[in-house]
Amino acid sequence: MAQRALQQSSSYRPHYRRRFRWKWGEFGRVCVLIFYVLVVIAPIYWMFITSVKSYGEIVNVKEVTYWPQTFTTANYEELFNAIDFGIYLKNSLLYAFVTALTVVVITMMSGYGMSRYQFRGKGFMLGMWLVAQMIPGILGTIPMYVIYSKLGLINTRTGLFFMFITGQIPFCTITMRAFFDRIPVSLEEAAFVDGCNRVQAIFRIILPVLLPGMAAVFVFAFTAVWNDLMTCVIYTSKKKLWTINVILKSMIGRVSVNWGTLMAGGIIALLPTIVVFAFVQRYVVSGLTAGAVKE
Amino acid sequence: MNSTIKLRRRRKILKAIEPYLFCLPLIFCLFGLFAYPMIRAVIISFQRYKLTELKKVRFIGFDNYINSLRDKNLGMITWNSIKYVVIVVGLQFVLGFGLALALRRPFRFRNVYQAVAFIPYALSGFVCGLMFRWSFNGEYGVVNDLLMKLHITSSKIAFLGTPGLSIIPVYVAAIWLGYQFFAIMLLAALQSIPQEVYESAELDGCGWWRRLFSIIIPYIRPTLLTILMLRVVWTFNSYELIYVITEGGPASSSETLTSYLFTRAYSNLDFGAASALGLMFAVVLLICAGIYMKLTKYNQAGDF
Repeated sequence: MAQRALQQSSSYRPHYRRRFRWKWGEFGRVCVLIFYVLVVIAPIYWMFITSVKSYGEIVNVKEVTYWPQTFTTANYEELFNAIDFGIYLKNSLLYAFVTALTVVVITMMSGYGMSRYQFRGKGFMLGMWLVAQMIPGILGTIPMYVIYSKLGLINTRTGLFFMFITGQIPFCTITMRAFFDRIPVSLEEAAFVDGCNRVQAIFRIILPVLLPGMAAVFVFAFTAVWNDLMTCVIYTSKKKLWTINVILKSMIGRVSVNWGTLMAGGIIALLPTIVVFAFVQRYVVSGLTAGAVKE
Repeated sequence: MNSTIKLRRRRKILKAIEPYLFCLPLIFCLFGLFAYPMIRAVIISFQRYKLTELKKVRFIGFDNYINSLRDKNLGMITWNSIKYVVIVVGLQFVLGFGLALALRRPFRFRNVYQAVAFIPYALSGFVCGLMFRWSFNGEYGVVNDLLMKLHITSSKIAFLGTPGLSIIPVYVAAIWLGYQFFAIMLLAALQSIPQEVYESAELDGCGWWRRLFSIIIPYIRPTLLTILMLRVVWTFNSYELIYVITEGGPASSSETLTSYLFTRAYSNLDFGAASALGLMFAVVLLICAGIYMKLTKYNQAGDF
């Protein structure tokens, strides 16, 4: 809300003394904005058109085509027929959805706790979180691998779920906490006065206001798991547990890389994140910046 | 009588542990999945711990540390890491700041524009790596084609096969993937500057550069410092792009410390040596971050 108010107030511009310069400034700004869109679009465009080209056109040394001579879906068909992409797609979706839902529920609790209570050890936990950010993740995977193999969690779905969920909790808790911080305590107190108990207050009053936060955390967790490569590479070697990223990565190593098929896989891998992100971009941005900027 | 006292006491205890109950998952993650594994990593680093010879695990003192420091690749790899972080974070910052400045004042469809301009933020390192690995392909790659069409080079360059050049696609991919984060954060910071400040500066006849350096940058300094530090650390710790694009090659010329760590741990399966190396540079990183925080008076930068 505060952000929107700010945007509205800043749309007020004084008109004196700057007609001429204003136009040049605006022109430069439009150029800059176009430049940034091109930078984003160009590689994705290249990936897409490669995925719809025929094999012969892709490996044509003499000429690189910027618009496919013939559109073909052969690459996508090969993906699903030859390497059973469906299995991996299902895995990816399953991991991402279950993790995101679980993380939203868990971080609503822990975020509430971190926001509404002052307790001993809170500062210590935040400090630990900061230190954890600085430790290279790969260092942590070494002891975790040892622990996992002792518990027999290597190559199991349970192990993967556990790793995904716990991996998202700290960051998402901090995000959720920032969203709780924005909801005035008086809102809850008013609910108490009106005769709600704590649970009712949370479900009837807090949840509706918290929806943007829940959306942001859901998207964070979903994309993090959907985009993950290394967790799956490190903790699983069984093919039937792999995600789309892992199977595509394993295809690069082969002697004859079929880039058309790989790019088709890449397009499928980026579609859900782009779609989700486009819809909730505003919430994600506010989730990311919440607590980061001192106002 | 007695029971009411008991009940009251129970309620008091419940009240005292209530916040901890709420935070239980977080506490579990921080201790069970961060603190405890770190202790284990320290123990492993003093052991001869190879996954292939688990029966021969034993304590060997500082051998892993000494051997890691004696590694003749270490100098080059450290230098690679520093170059990687400076170049990538530097350009990410410039590009991100530019985008944030361009987006500062609202315009029609700004939300739609942002949804497009911030797309890379949602993408995975893997997909991005794949994309750029293909674009920089030595034979069929679009980058070579463009360079030749623009008459910058006369023949195709085997980017991924040449030591020294193979890291370039990784730089490009890392910058492309990360500058939106700067843009998002800096945009929020820019929008927190009151409009009156801009206006009064304009009335006083400040030019664009003057406004940038005397007003905008000092105003967003706390956010700037925080993001820079986080970004440096994250970039330092990331190895996915290298793993996807060059796999450290050719001949480990494009390895950074983190990707080298990955190779040591999961290709050679030498957990002891990898832990020792990892711990050493984690400590160096923490010390650097500590000094940075002291020097920049980070504590005033808000709670992050």
